[in-house]
Amino acid sequence: MATKTASTQHKEVLITGFGGQGIVLAGQILGKAASLVDRKESTLTQSYGPEARGGACSAQVIISQSTIHYPYVRIPHIVLCLSQGGYDKYANSVRSDGMLIVDQDLVRISEGSDRTLYRVPATRIAEELGRKMMANIVMLGFLSAVSDVVTKDALHATVVKSVPKGTEELNSTAFHKGYDYGAAILKGIEKKAAGKKGAKS
Amino acid sequence: MDKPKIILFICNWGPHAAFQSLQDNDADIPVEVRMIRIPCTGRMSKSLLFKSFEMGADGVALVGCEPGSCRYGSGTESAERNVEDTRGILHLLGLGGDRLRLAMFLPEESEALLRFLQDFSDVIETIGKSPVTPNPRDVAALSHMETARIVAAHDVYACQDCGKCSSACPVTLSGKSFSPRAMANAIIGGDLDSPAVVEDVWSCLTCGLCTDRCPSVVNFPDFIREMRHMLKCGGVEGQQSHGGFFQSLMRTMTSPHLTINHWDWLPPDIKTDEKSPILYFGGCAPYFDTFFRHHLGVNTSDILSDSLRLMNFFDIFPAIHPGERCCGHDLLWSGDEENFLRLARLNAKAFQEMGIEEIVTSCPECFRTLSHDYPRAGIPLNIKVTHVYDLLEKEISKGAVDFEETEHRITFQDPCRLSRLEGRPELPRKLLQRLRPQGIKEMQDRGISALCCGNCAWTGCDSYTKALQNKRLRQARATGSDLLVTACPKCQIHLKCAMQDPFRGNEIEMEIMDLTGLMAKTIKWE
Repeated sequence: MATKTASTQHKEVLITGFGGQGIVLAGQILGKAASLVDRKESTLTQSYGPEARGGACSAQVIISQSTIHYPYVRIPHIVLCLSQGGYDKYANSVRSDGMLIVDQDLVRISEGSDRTLYRVPATRIAEELGRKMMANIVMLGFLSAVSDVVTKDALHATVVKSVPKGTEELNSTAFHKGYDYGAAILKGIEKKAAGKKGAKS
Repeated sequence: MDKPKIILFICNWGPHAAFQSLQDNDADIPVEVRMIRIPCTGRMSKSLLFKSFEMGADGVALVGCEPGSCRYGSGTESAERNVEDTRGILHLLGLGGDRLRLAMFLPEESEALLRFLQDFSDVIETIGKSPVTPNPRDVAALSHMETARIVAAHDVYACQDCGKCSSACPVTLSGKSFSPRAMANAIIGGDLDSPAVVEDVWSCLTCGLCTDRCPSVVNFPDFIREMRHMLKCGGVEGQQSHGGFFQSLMRTMTSPHLTINHWDWLPPDIKTDEKSPILYFGGCAPYFDTFFRHHLGVNTSDILSDSLRLMNFFDIFPAIHPGERCCGHDLLWSGDEENFLRLARLNAKAFQEMGIEEIVTSCPECFRTLSHDYPRAGIPLNIKVTHVYDLLEKEISKGAVDFEETEHRITFQDPCRLSRLEGRPELPRKLLQRLRPQGIKEMQDRGISALCCGNCAWTGCDSYTKALQNKRLRQARATGSDLLVTACPKCQIHLKCAMQDPFRGNEIEMEIMDLTGLMAKTIKWE
């Protein structure tokens, strides 16, 4: 499963986390990048009512080559979890050929799932850059490396346009850190599959 | 065409009698052979053998006595080792090991000696003239004007005579009567060639600890470097370790027409790409290993292959230059600026011809020389110079990389050129922190205050050097660690040498490994 998920006509992405982690913003950026830059169709629905005040929160993005008739996610291709609650609720709803991306320091993985799983230290990377709240951007960078639901350049350009003025450079760095991490993970999987574990074997 | 020059070093005791009977009988000794009578082949060190080639010899024959017939017992064995090592060096340099031959004859074997000389002469004729072009140097009088300029250029007048330098200087603390400030004051006072000043100028380790402590920040290493140059121009040389072999080797490399084989030992599992704009500059480790193979058994070439393996691990396939020359660090720091410049120009030209945009090196001395000393000497490379640790740190911080646990408890020997002169003691430590040893414990003197490995630029090694190295190794042992990690091939060579002290037994013995080696052994994809 080292290769990127094949591009099909229709992709459903679910991003979950706590209110305040920038879940909805991440969804917006993803959708905008797909529609405004990659010239596809996209929709965003978000669940945030009372939940958004520190509770569970989610953004549902659909990206398609053709008109989207129904804007809610039914069986997601990709689920990004930045909280345990989101993982517990949605982890099992991922399609069997889909992928699950979690923040490794915020989510404890339960055994027994055979879906592709990526563990990303997104919050840790963002913290090292000085702002914990950029974990969502790190995640987007990672997503652009491991899947082709949206192109990297489109996503990066939209990130820079969507974040608050004055933080563009920092967010751009966060995006690239996420992307590099994703690229490194794929390379590692590829190397291991080719039987190369270390520098001497 | 010139006839080739063949030097015949012949032992006084046995074969010289055979040579004399050839002369008495007016035998047909090839005219290109010049005979030098020596007391024993065992006394012909590698540096003496090599120096003949530096000075333009096309072939050297060392002729001694059969094993067992040596008057001193072990002369023949020493000669065998020295010849083998020197042939290895000649091979790396591209001169070819065949230019040096060892043979043994009894006094009555004059006919055999004649055949040997005629055959050797034919062989040298076939190989052709040596591409080495000797650079004789003129000796000028010591100039007080020049001294005044050097003193002013490094602001040595700002010395307040406070003594902070000598209270930190590792040479002073090893017990030698050596004082940076006293030397500075003597030189300011016009004393250039008294034995005390000359001894001091050549004993300095140029480690830079005094500059770090100096309230006026007098750049002592740079001052010493220029003083050495001036003294050397005036014919006042210091004691060079290993008979000046390495300086001789580097001077030989300034010959432009050498076809050097710097890399033909490289293990086949390593991938390089001759078209890459990134050049991996290895440094002199293969020469060190050849030179010290019978003495210390060091494996500093592993630093080169492990660095390349680590780069390959991250899918970086750099170019290597088969004819790589020394960067010139040791010539520069032992006062030979002229030959340093010759090497620098040859290197700059080679990099340009290869279309190199970035040079990666694992040697702290090469790193400093290529990035700082080339531009300072008026040879700007316009090429980015990266230490391999920076490259590895960047790649590892991308993530998905982990290290196997190692069973060692480790401590770290700082390389002066990176930790102090470059001011980056944190760089190797970032990488050390990523490893998974049983423990990391720093020595008492560490980072920017670390103690020197004992020697720099192959000059002035003496009993005080050994005392200093002893002290350093005791510090390493006092951490309770069982592995000393180094970051410079020279640290490894010097500290291994110190461990051979027969009076210390295993008190100061410790396993040594380069950081790149430890990383290459344990790195893995997560």
